[in-house]
Amino acid sequence: MADIRLVGLGKEFDAGGVVAVRDLTLTFREGSTTCLLGPSGCGKTTLMRMIAGLEVPTTGKIFFGDEDVTRLETSKRNLGMVFQYPVVYRGATVREDIGLPLRVEKLPAAHKAARVDEVIALLGLEEYANHPVDKLNSATRQKVAVARAVARQAPIILFDEPITNVDPDFKLQLKRTLRELFSRLNQTIIYVTHDQTEAMTLADDIALMRDGSIEQMAPPRDLYGRPESVFAGWFLGNPGMNFVPVESQPAVAAAVLGGAVPDGVTAVGFRPEDVLISSGGPQRGAVEATLGHVSLATGGQHLARLLHADLVVKAKLPWDSPVATTRGSQVWWSVPLEKVRAFDRHERAVNLVSAEQ
Amino acid sequence: MDTLNLAEFEAEPSPKGRASARAGTRDSTKSRLLGRALLVPVLVFFAILNVIPTFWMIGLGFYDYTLGRGDPKFVGLDNFVIIYESAEQWATFTRTLFFMVVAVAFEVGLGVVLGFLFWGSAKMPGRRLALTLLFTPMVVAPVASGLFWKLMYEPTFGVINYVVDLFGGQKIDFLTDVDWVTPAVLAVDIWMWTPFMILMTLAALGSVPTAELEAADVDRLSFYQRVRHVIWPHGKFILMLGILLRTIDAFKTTDLVLTMTGGGPGNKTEFLGVALYRQAFNSFDLGRSSAVALVLLIIAIALTSIYLYVLNLSRSR
Repeated sequence: MADIRLVGLGKEFDAGGVVAVRDLTLTFREGSTTCLLGPSGCGKTTLMRMIAGLEVPTTGKIFFGDEDVTRLETSKRNLGMVFQYPVVYRGATVREDIGLPLRVEKLPAAHKAARVDEVIALLGLEEYANHPVDKLNSATRQKVAVARAVARQAPIILFDEPITNVDPDFKLQLKRTLRELFSRLNQTIIYVTHDQTEAMTLADDIALMRDGSIEQMAPPRDLYGRPESVFAGWFLGNPGMNFVPVESQPAVAAAVLGGAVPDGVTAVGFRPEDVLISSGGPQRGAVEATLGHVSLATGGQHLARLLHADLVVKAKLPWDSPVATTRGSQVWWSVPLEKVRAFDRHERAVNLVSAEQ
Repeated sequence: MDTLNLAEFEAEPSPKGRASARAGTRDSTKSRLLGRALLVPVLVFFAILNVIPTFWMIGLGFYDYTLGRGDPKFVGLDNFVIIYESAEQWATFTRTLFFMVVAVAFEVGLGVVLGFLFWGSAKMPGRRLALTLLFTPMVVAPVASGLFWKLMYEPTFGVINYVVDLFGGQKIDFLTDVDWVTPAVLAVDIWMWTPFMILMTLAALGSVPTAELEAADVDRLSFYQRVRHVIWPHGKFILMLGILLRTIDAFKTTDLVLTMTGGGPGNKTEFLGVALYRQAFNSFDLGRSSAVALVLLIIAIALTSIYLYVLNLSRSR
């Protein structure tokens, strides 16, 4: 078992023309599952490839435990990796494929066979054990690739968007398998994805990336509930946070914050599901708005657009909400103060308690 | 960042334009028709220069027809029976087969080894220049190469005999010595066509998905396991195509041999193509030479079929 430490890690392509990863210093905890989450092109795959030794960092160092592996070649890093493209070794059966990385290990043959059988059972591949891998569908191939990475019992396993290239019909099945698997493994796992639902359900920690930097690293609940930046608030959630700019909407911002806007706060943010709506007339601290388009959102909720001058606030309503969903009707909305996040001009979160003091 | 730009977090998808989709369908029908129309001249030329002469040749194979000796006379399968019963013809066939097998074996062996070396040295300085120089023989016309090597092999002032002489060896008349002539011609063919197999090997290796090669690195696969489970399954189609093309080409080698030895000494280097040339353009026996050409064509088709069979077999496994 080993933690993974990155110290000042950076990667530039085209001799500095494209900066994929910028000066990262962070630790992936030993035995934890961390999802690298972010939009396409944010550098998450490059970061994982550097950890695997498939890319050479331009700056910084990588440590597995206390060992500096920055310049160590991939085959000597002792890690398992599952690629986006389901890699299987053609011409082999499922059992042979899973056993291939074990051939270099100095273990009795019976021990190796037992390990292969164990992961075959763990991933529910028993019925395919003697099938040629070439004949399998993409999801089963990817399961074989996962089994191969797990069978090695390497201290680190890397997953590079393993669900992306799987047939849509099998995605859910594979996701379920991975969730069960991660709960049983105690290796250090890094999982790259751009799908926040996947990250939320699989990870112990999420490292949210943007433009080659880590925006925030925290357990899923903290990242969602207490985003440390405007980007984190916007990227997570469907839809993301609402933002009220203080400069153009000072009265609304003050109403949301329940009083004066503290110095340094340039925007306030809150999640659509935290918006409370009433159609029963003016209320103290609530903002008046006109109900705009109402559509059906995930989970059978309604997603309503509340219009207040130039401001559009998205709000999620239960499907049986007593609030009239007729377009054009007047409503009053508010947000519990504990659900509000305030941001400064650098788009970073401000602690409201200390800001008030 | 000094100012907040919340607008960038408010982006919404734009609706798709159905009208532009319909226009796209019309455009694609037009371009398909244009594409077919552009094919017509090529197909006409192909018919005039390939299809009609081939059928003409097949027909002539059943006639006794020598230019300047009167009208063609239908003789049925006589030309083929004569070819079948001719010991000389069988000797030519065996000679050709030997040349083909040895040439292709060396070209494939060297080509694959050198291809792997070039593939594995992507960051070697001067790699591109080395590849360009290596491919030069392939782009030179075989007739030019034949003449060039004829001068190199020349016993009196040829550079090879100069080197042999320099090391105290006895001068060899490579192209008239019965023991040396076949290896001498083979060496030139190998020199000319090994680059082609290097190219095919590089193309085959280039067709292997990077993710599979990287997975092989992560999984610590041995060289043999990499070749067997990663490289061969992806690269075999291109590599087999290269071998097939070389096999057919080596089987009908004519121009190189004609310029170097003219088929001699005696008939030591008279391969099927050379024999065909002699019969058609020295003896003007168009009937017999057409029959030989037809046999060559059938052999080429057989080789192609074997290749396709092997590929289909490996694909169905």
